Amino acid sequence: MTLHLEIISPEKVVFSENVDEVIVPTTTGQITVLPQHVALFTQITPGELIIKRAGKEDYFAVTGGFLEVAKNKTTILADFAVHSHEIDAVKAEEAKKRAEKLLAEKISQEDVAVARSELVKSLLELKVAKRRKHHLTTP
Amino acid sequence: MASIHILRRRILAAQNVSKTTRAMQMIAASKLKKAQAATLATRPYVEKLSTVTKRVATRAPQEFTHPYLTPKNANGKKLLVLFAPDKGLCGGLITNLLREFLRYTREEKGLRVVTVGKKVESFVITLRSEVIASFVFGTTTPSFNMVLPITKMINDEYLLGNVASVHILATHFTSIFSQKPIMTTLLPISLPLPQEEQEKSEGGQYLFEPNVTELLSPLLNHYLEMVVYQYLLESFVSEQAARMVAMQNATSNAKDVIEDLRLEYNKTRQARITNEILDISGADALRGVQNE
Repeated sequence: MTLHLEIISPEKVVFSENVDEVIVPTTTGQITVLPQHVALFTQITPGELIIKRAGKEDYFAVTGGFLEVAKNKTTILADFAVHSHEIDAVKAEEAKKRAEKLLAEKISQEDVAVARSELVKSLLELKVAKRRKHHLTTP
Repeated sequence: MASIHILRRRILAAQNVSKTTRAMQMIAASKLKKAQAATLATRPYVEKLSTVTKRVATRAPQEFTHPYLTPKNANGKKLLVLFAPDKGLCGGLITNLLREFLRYTREEKGLRVVTVGKKVESFVITLRSEVIASFVFGTTTPSFNMVLPITKMINDEYLLGNVASVHILATHFTSIFSQKPIMTTLLPISLPLPQEEQEKSEGGQYLFEPNVTELLSPLLNHYLEMVVYQYLLESFVSEQAARMVAMQNATSNAKDVIEDLRLEYNKTRQARITNEILDISGADALRGVQNE
C-alpha cells in the first residue's frame, strides 16, 4: 500500500511519485502521513521534508506552503522546494552570507522581508544538505 | 514609371523597416523563450492550487464564511481588471482584447475598471468607463512583486463593498500562433457544487489543522495572488508571441516590397541606359549623315 505524493512549487513540479511515507513540518508540529490517512488540510512551515519509499529516504527543503491529504493522494503546494541532491551547499552558504549582510545594513522594510526569507531559505538548504551528508557517512 | 531617385529612396526606406522589424522579432523571440518557460512552469501549480482551494472551501463547515466566497455587497457593480501590453505592434492582440472589452461593456452599466498596460488605458478612458487605477505592464517578464499592488486594489474595492464581483480580462496563451482573450470571474470564488457534494458525503471526515479560519484566509489570499500572477504571465507571453509573429510577417512583407522595388529600379535603370545609348548612337548617325 503506497500513497501518491505530489510536490508542486510555482517553479516546477518537484516530485510526483508513489511513496510509503512522508514526514512534513507543519504549523502544529511535524506530522507523518501514511497511506490511508484521513483527509487533512494544513499549512507547512519552513523545514525539512522526508520521503520514505522502498527503504530509501529522500530529503527536501521546503519554505512553507500547504498540505492536502485526500483519498490517498497527498498534494504539497510549496512556496519553494528543493531536493537535497540539488542543493549546492557552497551557493547556499554564499546566499546566507549575502542575506545576513543585507540584514545588517539598514534597508527598506520590503528589502528586509526579502533578505529574511532568503536567509531562511539558505539556512534551511544548508541544514538539509548537512543532514544528508551525515546520513550518507553513517550507514 | 517612377523616377530612379524616388525608387532608390523607397528601397532604402523598405530596407530600414525590415531591419527594425527583424530586430523587434529577435527581441520578442528571446523574451518569449524566457516568459514561456515561466508561464508553463507556474501553470500546474496554479491549477492544483485552484482545485485544492475550491475543494477545501466546499468542505469547510457551514458556519465558516469568508468575503471571497460570499460577497458583502449585492449592488451588482463589477470590477474589471484588464491586462494588456504596454506597447503596440503585436498583431491583433490588442484589437481582440478591446473587442471583447467592448462587447462586455455594452451589456454592463456602472463598470469600474483597473487597467494594467498603457496601450488600453486611453481607449478605456475615452469610453467613459470608470477607471479607478492603471498600472504599467512593463516590458520584461512580470515579477511577483507586480501582483501585490494589483491585489491590494482588488481587495480595497471588493472588501469595502464598492463592487460585488471582480472579473479579469486577459489573453490566454495557447500556442505561439494562437492567443485568445478570455474573461474569468475572480471573485467571489465560484465553487463547483453538485459532484463535490457527493464526494463530501463519501469522504466523511475532513480535518483542518489547527482550524479552518486560520487556514483558509491565507490560502484564499495566496490563491488570489497566484491567479493574478498567472494571468500576468499569460498576458506577457501572449504579447511576446503575437509580436514575434507579427514582426516575422512584417519582415517578410518588407522583403517582398524590396524585391519588387528592386526589379522596377533595375528596369528603370536599364531603360535609361538604353535610351542614352540610343541617343548617342542616334547622334552619331546624324553626324555621319552630316559629314557625308
